[in-house]
Amino acid sequence: MIRSFKDIPGVEWVPGTGRFITVDPDTCTGCANCVKVCLGECYELTDKKAVIKSLDRCMECGACWYVCESGAISFSWPKGGTGFRTEYG
Amino acid sequence: MIDTGENREASCDVLVIGAGFGGSAAAKICADAGLTTILVERSENVGEKIISGLTIPFHGFLFGPAFIRDGTPPIERPVDGIENYIIKDIETNDIDIDDSLKVPKPFSPVFAVGYNAYCKAFCEWEAEEALQSGVQLKTSTTVVDVIRKNGRICGVVTEHNEKIQSKIIINAEGSHGLLAIKAGVREKYPPDTISLADVYVYDMDKKDIDRIFGFSLKFCWGWDEQKVAPPLGHGNGLMVWPYDASLHLMQDQCLRKDEGPVYNVAKALKDYHHNITSKLPWWRDEVGPRVKLKARMWDGFEIFVGLNERLRNMPNFTDGMLLIGDAAGLENTELCDGVPTAWFSAEIAAEVAIEAISNNDTSAEFLSRYNDRIKAHPIIQWAITSTNRYNLRYAQEDHDEKKLKKYIHEGWGIGFCMHGSTPLSKIVLSFLKKDPLVIGKWIRMYLRYYYNWHHQHFEDASTAVDPGCKKDALRLSAGLRFMDRVLSAFGPFIRLLARLMEPLTEAANPLMKVVFPFVSPIYLRLIKRWDALMEPLSKRVVRAVAASDPSIFDVRTTWRRDT
Repeated sequence: MIRSFKDIPGVEWVPGTGRFITVDPDTCTGCANCVKVCLGECYELTDKKAVIKSLDRCMECGACWYVCESGAISFSWPKGGTGFRTEYG
Repeated sequence: MIDTGENREASCDVLVIGAGFGGSAAAKICADAGLTTILVERSENVGEKIISGLTIPFHGFLFGPAFIRDGTPPIERPVDGIENYIIKDIETNDIDIDDSLKVPKPFSPVFAVGYNAYCKAFCEWEAEEALQSGVQLKTSTTVVDVIRKNGRICGVVTEHNEKIQSKIIINAEGSHGLLAIKAGVREKYPPDTISLADVYVYDMDKKDIDRIFGFSLKFCWGWDEQKVAPPLGHGNGLMVWPYDASLHLMQDQCLRKDEGPVYNVAKALKDYHHNITSKLPWWRDEVGPRVKLKARMWDGFEIFVGLNERLRNMPNFTDGMLLIGDAAGLENTELCDGVPTAWFSAEIAAEVAIEAISNNDTSAEFLSRYNDRIKAHPIIQWAITSTNRYNLRYAQEDHDEKKLKKYIHEGWGIGFCMHGSTPLSKIVLSFLKKDPLVIGKWIRMYLRYYYNWHHQHFEDASTAVDPGCKKDALRLSAGLRFMDRVLSAFGPFIRLLARLMEPLTEAANPLMKVVFPFVSPIYLRLIKRWDALMEPLSKRVVRAVAASDPSIFDVRTTWRRDT
């Protein structure tokens, strides 16, 4: 079912993305850079490791991937036709 | 049964990856040349994943692909200038304004310095043009890898394991460059060259926008400690674009400064938005009470890539593949609008692809001519190496108000002519050398775009005219016919003049640097009075354009008449 959030109007999320962003816990240093740059609040720090709470509000900006100095975050595009979409970009 | 495309195979002459601003343009040009062209796009509907606050500068339209210049793309509002708010102290409203970049009346607003647009509507229009040329568009298709044969890229694999073989690939995948990285052609950009843009879209009554903004963008610049806009020189700043009946507010900040720690951008962007909307007088008192939030979104894109020699020189081609636009690092580092450079590179890539296929040679050696032409393009090179935005950091470091105003004036004020005159004169003359009649196409483009925006009518040109202004409309029509005759008669002379003037273009910037300090204060003193005097004429021009029969702006009709 297509999702939307009241605090992010004008944007919809089509489900079925697959796990297009992943964090390797063995490589993660717990620097929290991903937490600091994610406007979708997708990340949290648990036991000094970055954990993806949910990709439901992810807008595929790639900021988390760019700031991950240890290379723990893998970023790929969601499956075709899924993920966020907007009329107003 | 759902067709997932699994294990299917397709083949074509040209495969274009990404139906953004550049991708569709490249695909259309290739298809027009008779090449079988497939355009793949990961989103379900073209343009729905492209985020920007967007003014496409005039040079993209004038010097980019002809089908855009001569077409009817959906624009949201012409732009006639920029009002720069230099915020020295937000609490005491100590704010200076630099509004020196403004098209004078009566040319404004018909002759614009750029056009605001919604990315989705514009990209859909481009893709529709590509489809009409015979391009096969495959949406909801994410490319995951390239296919190689004897070391040469010869196709891609989609997420459904569909293989698309092609003689050549034009990669228009955007800033992140996932495919180019996977193919070993380019590297991931460092965080100091990625800006996170936070965009708010507001509904606003058109009449209020006309009154408060007119046709001007509003840019806000403040000392870092004011926390009203992203740090100077580490991102775009804060900008408000007026659209037809909505506003775009965009603020964006680099993820880190040089090699320093990563910013808490999530918090910082919230703070800037709160401070600017609650403290800046014109927003708080005029705009705030009249807007309703319609959308909020964000995206990360490259900035200052062209200023870093190593990043600038990353390959933009390899065996069997050409990269264009953001995928090739061709963002506009000063204006932060990569659309013109995407269009220019799309056109060059399409030309090279056509030549490569015609010569049956898609080797890196043959395709290196693409890089040569990118390096020789005066606007692309100007766009990726301009330094005013980057240099704002030095104004902050020294807390030097004079320096701050200088960079703003030279970046987003009339002072841009001290570094823009050479590239602009070069490209103008290169067009005039080839086709002096292009002047008529440029003028008709401005008139058509304004007409279409005025009537909000981008497809069918038949619109009711205002009978009260019919006389002026007829005069305009006669004027255009006269212009065509003059251009035809003086074409060889214009071509010769362009050739003679070409060697002088290098001197344009140095000359402006000498002349500008004397001429600029006089111009700025006179222009306000001039604009007031010209206001009635400006309104008359607008009425005449709006009341015209739109077929007089049709370039193709003119061509038939000429030939």
